[in-house]
Amino acid sequence: MQSQSILSIQTPVGPPVEIIRHTFASQSPQPIKRVSLVAGLHGDELEGLYICHRLIQILKNLEEQDSSAFKGEINIYPAANPQALETGTRLWPFFSNDINRMFGRTEPASLPGETAKTLLEDLKANSDLVVDIHSSNLHLMELPQIRIIKDFEKKLVPLAKLCNVDLIWVHPHAEIFESTLGYNLNQAQIPTLVIETGICLRINKNHCAQILLGILNLLRKTGALDTDEPQVAIPEPKLLQPESVTMVQAGNAGLFIKQANVGQMVSEGEKIGDLIDPLQGQTLEEVRSPCSGLLFTLREHPLTLKGAPLARIANEEKM
Amino acid sequence: MKEKVLSIPTPFGAPLDLYKNTWGKSGDTLSIVSGLQGDHLNGMYLNSRLSQFLDSVVEDVGPNYTLKGRVVSFPVANLNAIQSGSKLWPYDGLDMDLAFSGNPQGETTEALASAIYTHTADSYWGLILQSAPPHYEDAPHIQTLKVDGRIKKLCLDLQIETARKLNESTKVNLLHHWHVHDIAAVNISAGSPRTLNRPQCETLFHGIVNFMVAEKILKDNRKLKPEENNKPQFYEASDEVAVLASTAGMFLKEMKVGTSVQKGQQIGEIRDIYSCKRLEEITAPADGFLVTLRQYPIVYEKEPIATILTPKKSWREFLPWSA
Repeated sequence: MQSQSILSIQTPVGPPVEIIRHTFASQSPQPIKRVSLVAGLHGDELEGLYICHRLIQILKNLEEQDSSAFKGEINIYPAANPQALETGTRLWPFFSNDINRMFGRTEPASLPGETAKTLLEDLKANSDLVVDIHSSNLHLMELPQIRIIKDFEKKLVPLAKLCNVDLIWVHPHAEIFESTLGYNLNQAQIPTLVIETGICLRINKNHCAQILLGILNLLRKTGALDTDEPQVAIPEPKLLQPESVTMVQAGNAGLFIKQANVGQMVSEGEKIGDLIDPLQGQTLEEVRSPCSGLLFTLREHPLTLKGAPLARIANEEKM
Repeated sequence: MKEKVLSIPTPFGAPLDLYKNTWGKSGDTLSIVSGLQGDHLNGMYLNSRLSQFLDSVVEDVGPNYTLKGRVVSFPVANLNAIQSGSKLWPYDGLDMDLAFSGNPQGETTEALASAIYTHTADSYWGLILQSAPPHYEDAPHIQTLKVDGRIKKLCLDLQIETARKLNESTKVNLLHHWHVHDIAAVNISAGSPRTLNRPQCETLFHGIVNFMVAEKILKDNRKLKPEENNKPQFYEASDEVAVLASTAGMFLKEMKVGTSVQKGQQIGEIRDIYSCKRLEEITAPADGFLVTLRQYPIVYEKEPIATILTPKKSWREFLPWSA
């Protein structure tokens, strides 16, 4: 494994901020595929880091034992937003900028903007396929999934099916996505899968192991890795079109007390939780599933405002 | 007239209410929005100062003016960020100016954005009052996405001499959506976040009143000879020069924002925080107008320290005898 700093910035009083790319070089004269993995764009999303750690462990081991297995090139950027990761915050704290809303933007001139540009250019120069791993925010727990903007569906769905996620959610385009890493790479004709799993500031080892298996499968199926290990059967994920996702939103503000678990099959009318008024001892809403299906998103942060998402269900009748 | 346009329940008490001010019932509408970022105090003060003025006009306390058109204002947009004393509301960390056109069924910030957009979408003119990004100070200037006859007249009447045409880099801010609705709209940026510069606000206040008179939203009853406005200078994005720090440390400025600089002139210096040793002298790479300057002294390497707007050379300057 070779490690290279793609960006180094002196800081006022501490060590430099560096974005590191680890490369497992191809042993073929012409790499079959260059696959890149990115984690930690948001500093509070730790599951991607853990997945990268596990992957690096496996690949280092493989490199020692059978370097010829590397038919393609594998690049890993485990900590794309180092200062946000050091403080465990979504945003780079000194600037309060969301780096995943700065790709492809020219204004305002800022260091996070420059950092986004450097990372994007490096990925473009070194990748034929990218996997960008995210966790959910502090509010929602997510089942391992890949989200795909409708425009990129044809190219991305076959690749997403290799990744051992529970579901693939094809959703309509929205203008806010235009400043994300995934959108900009896909626009640049570099297929990019955006994985969303779990919740920020936590590591769900089972989810991480599931995704790790999927990434190894992706590396093998795309020809980047060629090993003698028997192939593991990857179950077919649910493919959700926009109309097959039913969202449950809070009709009031209060505390959400969940009574279900993400990954559970729910029936129409089944109770998901209660929305309570913490000051008056009242239950404001009994939150029930409006349809039958897989509960793939569930509110984890109890503090809830009107309009907040409480749950998303893969609606069985509309699939 | 102060009118509640949205009421959002909160978990622990009274609802959060969004208010709109409206003066006048007919005619083309001017909308003025401030407080999209919770720490942009100049805009909020300026907007409230305009509210005080327009109240006095419609209540006939100020006999010098008569209201002829219609004005709508939202002095405070991002209510929770303002109450938190921060740019963003910590609960959602969402930049409200990346949330337009909003979502009436969405969470608080999206619902507020939707209400503001809905209540201003039929305007003829739009002004967004803001300050510089965090850590910077802006000289009062106009930011626009396009330059046409209406925008040129708007800038002239506002009596602000510097106007920047921005590259459109996001489609989710209010300015973009106003432009899509063919509203003659600009940002007015001045000062720094978390600070209030009252003299600067007074100057901008008079500019906005002048604009309202020029566009016949207000009638000036004093029959004064109209002021001669200086023609604003428009700068393209390509006319902007960013001055970057090539080291990290403490930036000590030597210039004031809003002044002219000459190539080679010292803007400031960066010193090592442990030793106070001078690490770098920051000089202007070109002649121009210092529109943005670093205010917060701690800097990282490669950060922009200043933005200089460089005037386009007149064709006459290229003539052989001009050398």
